Amino acid sequence: MKARAALGWVYLAALFTFVFAPIGASVVFSFNSDRFPTLPLGHFTTDWYARAFSRPEVWEAIGNSLIVAGVTSVVATFIGFATAYTDFRYGFRFKQAYLALALLPPTLPLVILGLAMLAWLSQIGLSGTLTGIIIAHVVLATPFAMAICRLRLSQMDPALEAAAWNLGAGQWTAMRHVILPFCAPAIVSALCLTAAVSFDEFVVAWFVSGLNRTVPVMILEILQGNVDPQINAIGTVVFLTSMSLVIAAQFMIFRRRRHG
Amino acid sequence: MSTSRKLDPYAILWRIPLLVWQGLFFVVPLVFMAAMSFWLVKNYRMEPAFVFDNWAKMLGRGAFWDAYWLTLGRAALAGLLATVIAFPASLFLSFGLGESGRRFALLCLIVPFFTSFLVRAYAWQVILAESGPVNAALGVAGLGPFTMLNSGFGAMVGYLTLVLPLVVIFQTWSLAAIDRSLIEAAGNLGAAPLRVLVSVIIPAAKTGLVLGAVFAFIMTFGDFVSPFYLGGSKPPTLTILIIDTTKSGQQWPRAAVVALAMIATLFAVATAALKAAYGRRG
Amino acid sequence: MAEPLVQFRAVHKAFGTYVAVRALDLDIHRGEFMALMGPSGCGKTTTLRMLAGLEQPTSGTITIEGKVMNGVPPHHRDTPLVWQSLALFPFLNVVENVEFGLRMRGIATKARRDRAMLWLDRMQLTGFETRRIDQLSGGQRQRVALARSLVTEPQMLLLDEPLSALDAHLVIRMQGVLTKLQKELGITFVYVTHSQSEAFAMADRVVIMGHGEIEQIGTPQEIFRGPKTRFVAEFVGRNNILSGSVTDGMMTTAQGIVPVLSCDGPMEIVVAADRVALSRDRPAGAAIRAAFLSEEFAGTGIICYFETPDGAEWKAQVTEAQLADLQPETGQDFWLSWDPARVHVIG
Repeated sequence: MKARAALGWVYLAALFTFVFAPIGASVVFSFNSDRFPTLPLGHFTTDWYARAFSRPEVWEAIGNSLIVAGVTSVVATFIGFATAYTDFRYGFRFKQAYLALALLPPTLPLVILGLAMLAWLSQIGLSGTLTGIIIAHVVLATPFAMAICRLRLSQMDPALEAAAWNLGAGQWTAMRHVILPFCAPAIVSALCLTAAVSFDEFVVAWFVSGLNRTVPVMILEILQGNVDPQINAIGTVVFLTSMSLVIAAQFMIFRRRRHG
Repeated sequence: MSTSRKLDPYAILWRIPLLVWQGLFFVVPLVFMAAMSFWLVKNYRMEPAFVFDNWAKMLGRGAFWDAYWLTLGRAALAGLLATVIAFPASLFLSFGLGESGRRFALLCLIVPFFTSFLVRAYAWQVILAESGPVNAALGVAGLGPFTMLNSGFGAMVGYLTLVLPLVVIFQTWSLAAIDRSLIEAAGNLGAAPLRVLVSVIIPAAKTGLVLGAVFAFIMTFGDFVSPFYLGGSKPPTLTILIIDTTKSGQQWPRAAVVALAMIATLFAVATAALKAAYGRRG
Repeated sequence: MAEPLVQFRAVHKAFGTYVAVRALDLDIHRGEFMALMGPSGCGKTTTLRMLAGLEQPTSGTITIEGKVMNGVPPHHRDTPLVWQSLALFPFLNVVENVEFGLRMRGIATKARRDRAMLWLDRMQLTGFETRRIDQLSGGQRQRVALARSLVTEPQMLLLDEPLSALDAHLVIRMQGVLTKLQKELGITFVYVTHSQSEAFAMADRVVIMGHGEIEQIGTPQEIFRGPKTRFVAEFVGRNNILSGSVTDGMMTTAQGIVPVLSCDGPMEIVVAADRVALSRDRPAGAAIRAAFLSEEFAGTGIICYFETPDGAEWKAQVTEAQLADLQPETGQDFWLSWDPARVHVIG
């Protein structure tokens, strides 16, 4: 029995190592002096960071990414919440189709969505703009916001909203004083997670971005050239950002679950 | 639950945003892309038309079918490998760990899903390079150096990095949900552990196993980072074909043909798999 | 008599093809404690929800104080409800929960806090103002819910199975709290329940509903001793029902021929379990034979269950001494007899 448990731990550790190796390696290499890292490692340096973040186009990309992720998270969370609430409260014909529309986008390969977006956005004159990237990212991120808000609403006693009406609150007031406060942790969580989705997305963004590159698109374009450890430095910052967002999102969900 | 049958402005406000946004920016682009596949391209300009030229050009080309079968084969292989590799880990997570340990492990596995796959692929490029750390370590043992990049192997490493976390999550969810008494009962009846696994655990966890494999298939089928940066992009997969066709000149209609062929394939595979996952057992 | 506070007139409610309430006529008077009772799915909760405006009648009218309420949304009514789940707001503390109704009515912060505190005091919850809801016991939550509903000083209070989640001993105590409160405030209570002990212990009048219709309205005593329909007889109390037809004072039933004191024709009679006597030998008068099944200790005595040869279940209430005397064993045959003058004729 003990041997089997030990074997289990070893296997699990190996799998986790494989999954997290690229993340860890990227962080390690970003502080490593070698241009082509190998074993044994070179010496510690912050040189790659200094070089990467002294480039104005990096800062421009960071600015673009922040704008896109910020706007995307707000819009996607609003649509996701509205959809989750509709699903929670109303029954109507074609609801299955409505929900399919809400949840399908992430199952479509990004390359295909990128192509379709590029074609359509050029048609309506939004290709190559930040607005275009935001539009595409909202499509991709809304399902995540919807799922998180729906999960939270399913933990709510359905009588709660009716109780507010019963105590003199109209629908809008009940939304403000009951539904929104109840869903607050899920909404914060959805904001974080949709921001992370947008911050990491590079396929669709690459198709439609034109000259307005986001951070991952810039990485992609650097990658098409030579091996450059600056990517590790930028990548580490990107990892840290999205991981903090995802962990913050998870923290919000689980902290609240504990006390009801 | 609604107070009246009629649609009030309140109800409309919450229902409309999704319809508008996903309608205008998800459904319409896809429909537009489908329509575009019948357009004409003359002098690097697209013209609305209804001709089958693009379909004939793409589907009549050997290179397209090479890419198609390559992509399909790789996706199937990745689905299979991921399922097999993930299974022992999921088994351990489900039966060897407590509730809180399992939950923590799954939370960790969600994290990579939201972290840049591009940077992770680049890290693999460095790790697996001819003079990289892996070959250096193997060299100490007197092995290698091996060429791991720009090959099917390199692409597969990328695919597995992408899909393994999700496959483990799906499998663990369905394994952990199995009624323990079922397993104990089988054990009490004298079934050997391997037999319990094959005739009790795997059938009971079928849904999660199939869903995990299908998602691995779908993600691999649509991924371009692994074949491009780790697989050496030659021979091309369907995704690389789309990118090359799109980015070189105005051949969007032909790229649309490839995209539609991919959608049709994914739809068929997903439908068949869902039937297998939720259909009658045994 | 003064005009009723609430009038239901020919009220019909359908959900799609399912009819929840049909042709309901009901008056609820000022200051009365009325219980709506029936099995689940009988339409009692729908009736209550229509009164609160949470459902709209498909047809018919509901008036409150003479005013037609059809189409009036819930927040424009003064019909606070105590929910089965209590529906306390988990993100608000105790006093914020209680003052919610006042806040919705735009009462100033200071005034509403004072009034909420008054009600917390009345409900013996002083000192719990800033507690979170999940830090309260079941009985305390119950009282917060009551305070939250009563803080606006309504004409009537609606209660939807509010005690169903409580332990048995707390139920009895809360019944006392509710009856006392209703008498002190002098307002109308409309109380929905499936439990006859709750309804009969508290209500002035009980409405029995079945399949969306009213089966009987009356005081607890009237309903207990005089069920008007077979449905009520089966639902209420511990009743045995005999149906058959009467000729010359003898009633022919599937369980045997028994004497009755009524005219000829088909009829159904109710023999209450506490009016059934047991014996091993055939007594004179009205009696049937049945096999003993089991006994059950109830608060008022011991209920013995029997099965007649044709498969009907009969109940007889006995004392502990009687049970010790009889020493019944499963399968043994007994005679179940009663005084024909003390049966109730249905209809």
